[in-house]
Amino acid sequence: MAFVRTLDRLIGRIIDAGAWLALPLMFLLFLQWPLRDLFHGYSREANDLGQLIFALYVAMSVTAATRAGTHLAADLLAQRYTARARGRLKKAGILIGLLPWALFVLIGGRQIVMSSLAVLEGFPDTFNPGYFIIKLALWLMAILILAQIVVDLSRPEPAEPR
Amino acid sequence: MEWVGLFLLLLVGLGIVLTGLPAVIVLFSVASLGAVIGVLTDTIPVALLTALPSRLINLLENDLLQALPLYVTLGLLLDRLPVADSLYRSGVAILPRRASAPLFSGMLLGALLGPMNGSVGASVIGLSRVVAPRLTAQGVPAATRDAVIAVASTLGVLVPPSLVLILLSDAMLGAHTIAVTATGRNDRVINTLDIFRSALVPAAILLALFLALSWIAGRSRSVAAPRTPLARRELLLALVSFVFLIALLGGVAAGYFYAVEAAALGAFALLCGGILSGVLTFRVLRALLADAIAMSGALFSLLLAATSLTLILRLLGTDRLVNNLVAAIPGGDSAAVIVVLGVIALCAFVLDAFEIIFVIIPIVIPPLLIRVADARWVAVLVLLTLQASFLLPPFGYALMIMRGVAKNPAPFRNFLRALVPFLVVQWLVLMLVLAAPQLVHIGEDQKAITRAPAKPFSDEDFKNALPPLSDPADQ
Repeated sequence: MAFVRTLDRLIGRIIDAGAWLALPLMFLLFLQWPLRDLFHGYSREANDLGQLIFALYVAMSVTAATRAGTHLAADLLAQRYTARARGRLKKAGILIGLLPWALFVLIGGRQIVMSSLAVLEGFPDTFNPGYFIIKLALWLMAILILAQIVVDLSRPEPAEPR
Repeated sequence: MEWVGLFLLLLVGLGIVLTGLPAVIVLFSVASLGAVIGVLTDTIPVALLTALPSRLINLLENDLLQALPLYVTLGLLLDRLPVADSLYRSGVAILPRRASAPLFSGMLLGALLGPMNGSVGASVIGLSRVVAPRLTAQGVPAATRDAVIAVASTLGVLVPPSLVLILLSDAMLGAHTIAVTATGRNDRVINTLDIFRSALVPAAILLALFLALSWIAGRSRSVAAPRTPLARRELLLALVSFVFLIALLGGVAAGYFYAVEAAALGAFALLCGGILSGVLTFRVLRALLADAIAMSGALFSLLLAATSLTLILRLLGTDRLVNNLVAAIPGGDSAAVIVVLGVIALCAFVLDAFEIIFVIIPIVIPPLLIRVADARWVAVLVLLTLQASFLLPPFGYALMIMRGVAKNPAPFRNFLRALVPFLVVQWLVLMLVLAAPQLVHIGEDQKAITRAPAKPFSDEDFKNALPPLSDPADQ
């Protein structure tokens, strides 16, 4: 369990750090307009950098939503279920849906990510460096989801209220 | 095997309602089930499934989707800073001293902040925090108060540049591209700005009618709203915010800057204002950013899951089945549009607007646009239907959230009674736009208007229209 606690803390720290990426994203995308219309330059660089930050932010946001419990759900009926039943449903959903999907993304995306990383692929339109980071973000997303699955599946079942 | 796809869609609805699991987990589970069925029955070659990572990378580099975290952050900033409060109080102070003034000002605030607020949920929470206590203090009945706040919270759906509008624009762009390619029409594919502009007149009509209804709803009270003194600083903040918001909305509608840039500009200005005024301390900002990444993740994971499921549906051939079903709808364009809008409205009983945009729109709209040439008209009708879906009793998203956050909610029956006039007006505007497509083309460049095909489309043409979507080359 010490491993799971460490993993849980590590994911938490990564996401806490990732949340601050919203600020440079906001700033870069705001800069695009004056750079394009007033200074007539560097707006595409701002856009490319914004894209990199956006991809990393999104990669972390999926697990952030899972941890914060903000995923959209309609629990009008399910709120009548017992805590244990809900816990089992959640674990079943993770095993049937989330786990195979994240594994498939990790394994199925191997070729795309590795070939991009091998040549440190740049942006196809602007030739700016760093495009491979967007592809790497796909792996980051899958790894974080899988790590969170390990944490969630290791949690003990909620006890039934007496 | 194409019918399996429809079964999977049914399973999504049932799974969401019966399990209470997050929609994203249900979508991933159903997509996995569909993939297993497809592979085991040799309908889907395993190699085609490797198209999924590329599709997901497309989402990570989508320019338009960058607006998503920005709008969420913008909504949270508006909620934390005293902007909404100042605007509402200034609105009441400026309006004639009548009993209707607070309701009118609340509705106006919804229209002003809704597009900037990220989502309907954020609008309900924001307006409930700012407007509800004041309406209660001024003796507005709980049912009227809740109805006006729920309705005002949905205005952002239709008034550009809202998050729903941006995401729908992205879905419509994809659908229109498929339709234009399939039919060989020489139309320019619609973009976000086209849809913003097309929605302006219907949104203005709806807003005017909602404001009139709010005024009428307040007239039944005999007591005029008491005026609380407004500090000069507060009035100045309201004035600056109002001018800024109008400039931002106008700038996007006029095409001076993109919706993403507007969201970034708004969020950046609010952030600077919050830091300079001392409201946004490090601690508050940290909590705000943690909320922003969690809420953005909820929306984005829905998009990832929907992308996975729609790929499976296409590989199963369900898109072709839907094409054939849409082609078989008897009657003209309007009949086809009504049936598809009816399907979307039915989906709204179990799916919320974001789920509809990500899962249902990519399946039902491309075949509709192959048959109906006017993509702008269809887009605005879908927007109006989505907005109505937020208020559709008993499970409408805005209604559910309103009931959840209201401190002293009115009995549901009274709440519905207060809501009925607004619902009637909403459906009347929907029918008006359905009957008069020219309402979405006012002031439009005639060359840009989507044209009907040069020759009528036969059933056979229609059935053969879409490219073979399960072809590896398409992936």
